[in-house]
Amino acid sequence: MKKLVSAALAASLCLGLTACGGGAAETTAAATTVAATETTAAAAEATTAAASEDPIRVCVVYTGNLGDKSYNDSCNAGAQQAVTDFGIELKSLEGSTAEEWESNLLAACEEGYDLVIGASSNIADYITEHGPNYPDTKFAVIDTTVDLPNVQSISFAQNEGSFLAGAAAAMFTEMTDIDGVNEDAIIGWVGGMDIPVLHDFFTGYEQGAKYINPDIQILQAFAGEWSNPLKGKELTFAQFDQGADIVMNVASGTGAGVLEGAKEKGLYAIGVDLNQDADQPGAVLTSMVKRVDNACYLTIQSVVEGTFAGGTTQYLSLKDGGVSLTDFSVIKEHLGDKFPQEIVDKVDELSEKIIAGEIVVENYEGFGPAN
Amino acid sequence: MGAIIENLDKIINVSLIYATFRSATPIIFAALCAAITQQANILNVGTEGIMLVGAFTAVAVSYFTGSWVVGVAAAMLAGVLIAMIIGIGHIKYGADNCAIGMGVNMLALAITKFLLNVVFGMNGSFSSPEIDPIPRVKLEFLSEVPILGEIFCNWSIAEWFVIILIIALQFLFYKTVWGLRLRAVGQFPEAAKTAGINVNKIKYQAVAFAGMIGGLAGAHLSLGYSTQFVENMTSNRGFMGVAAMYFGGANPVFTSLGCLLFGFADSVGARLQAYGIPSQFVLMMPYIVTIAVLSVSMAVKLSANKKRQSSLN
Repeated sequence: MKKLVSAALAASLCLGLTACGGGAAETTAAATTVAATETTAAAAEATTAAASEDPIRVCVVYTGNLGDKSYNDSCNAGAQQAVTDFGIELKSLEGSTAEEWESNLLAACEEGYDLVIGASSNIADYITEHGPNYPDTKFAVIDTTVDLPNVQSISFAQNEGSFLAGAAAAMFTEMTDIDGVNEDAIIGWVGGMDIPVLHDFFTGYEQGAKYINPDIQILQAFAGEWSNPLKGKELTFAQFDQGADIVMNVASGTGAGVLEGAKEKGLYAIGVDLNQDADQPGAVLTSMVKRVDNACYLTIQSVVEGTFAGGTTQYLSLKDGGVSLTDFSVIKEHLGDKFPQEIVDKVDELSEKIIAGEIVVENYEGFGPAN
Repeated sequence: MGAIIENLDKIINVSLIYATFRSATPIIFAALCAAITQQANILNVGTEGIMLVGAFTAVAVSYFTGSWVVGVAAAMLAGVLIAMIIGIGHIKYGADNCAIGMGVNMLALAITKFLLNVVFGMNGSFSSPEIDPIPRVKLEFLSEVPILGEIFCNWSIAEWFVIILIIALQFLFYKTVWGLRLRAVGQFPEAAKTAGINVNKIKYQAVAFAGMIGGLAGAHLSLGYSTQFVENMTSNRGFMGVAAMYFGGANPVFTSLGCLLFGFADSVGARLQAYGIPSQFVLMMPYIVTIAVLSVSMAVKLSANKKRQSSLN
């Protein structure tokens, strides 16, 4: 009896171990064993798939989790739209560590998907490394550029959108008649991981803020993680303590803590990627919306319609509607009479100037239309 | 560097005190959870997992019942259940602490992810205005006092409770019969048995008690510190708690001091980043502190042991 129970206990433990080794470890193990026997079959399948009516199989590899109400959810929205419109077969792989991202990507490659989308720039290095080994697989990477013949890149002018956000924050921090806004010209910015694309955000944010007030001070912090809202909250509190009254987040799931922290202190935040204005109503001035959903959708569409062009880069700017600010409607409702309409007017004016080329927003090294 | 000295008043100021305590509180809860079992000589590697399950249960129950009290109680109960996996595996079947602890941690990660999907149909995170958070204590009479007001004015109930818990455990371990038995069981089980103490019973009690505290630690994360559940939201706080427990030799007061050191490193780091210190360096600080603290405490322990031995000879 005793032996039986201990055996059962051991078995349940093993079950626990494999179950939580996460999608990553498990899927690769499965994938590699399957792959060994199936590579030839998959190759054969791929050729027949094109001829027959099989749905196009797409795999999106996320560097983080769905449910962030930000970047990843936006990307997923585009993918889901493609499922509705084109009837593709969609697989999403999530993971929060670099090891998981790489093994998820490899699993996707080995599974023989028609299109593998790396959802963020975090995965670019792995695509650069493994992409050449799978010349028949189409890859796409969002938010950065990978220069390989089978990779299509889509990036955004996040610097232009952030310029507007920075300008809005710089104006807002001077409006001391609004509850919680102090006299210091200090604004904050909290990022997820310290990666180049986030510096492109920050470059624009800083330039926009300084365009309004050259003497403004901008506090910058990185959480080092994409899904640690408590860390995000603590960094936001630290910036509030240092005199900031509005903090922009560019931090996926970590950013949920930034918004929550602003709400808790009765201060303000700026959302990112998706429209986050209503996530903590009254505490979010506006959101810098990045149409990751469009990027994902367009990529899938290009494969469906046969216009996929490896080795090219699309650059979605303010002009193309790739980035924009929200309409400030949620904060307007909460602030009532105190709502500063001049911010909206100024943002519209700046936005026109950027589109007309009168204002040139700087890029972080390696970003911009030329790249 | 110049910017740091120039803004020193913004880095080291009164709000740093509460910030330190605020980031340390979850780690203190975790460390106390580990300290209880450590007194019975059971290394609680599963603290992280117990916390995570507690965090999920607290949010789920608070959401469905609309009461934070029920949520916290349920989290503590869930903590006991998870801790009992460790208890039964280790005490009854002699399983290795590290193996079963890591097993529990991974189980917790997977089961919360799974339940998040099944119960709420969500991936990654869950938040809702329907979740009833642990209330904050507003001390009106202090709010006008300059420095004290800023430090103490707006603590969560759980943050006040952790101080009571530290004192209570200190008393329990070193001033009560149960505490004496617990330590006897941990330090010399044969002697405890000879004295007529039911060793396994005490061990089970310790594990169950630790489970309650671990569940509470999780509830504080998801209902007190924030009002949401996010996958893997413990982010190694359980492990840092175990490290602090080592630093303090499972003594509640010393252990908590170790936690405050972590909290301090974290809070200062959060402020330093704004002034051009590379984020990679700042984010490394809590871990450097962990290693430094453990090395120092081990060195002290070794030299103390040596001294004791030489005085015996």
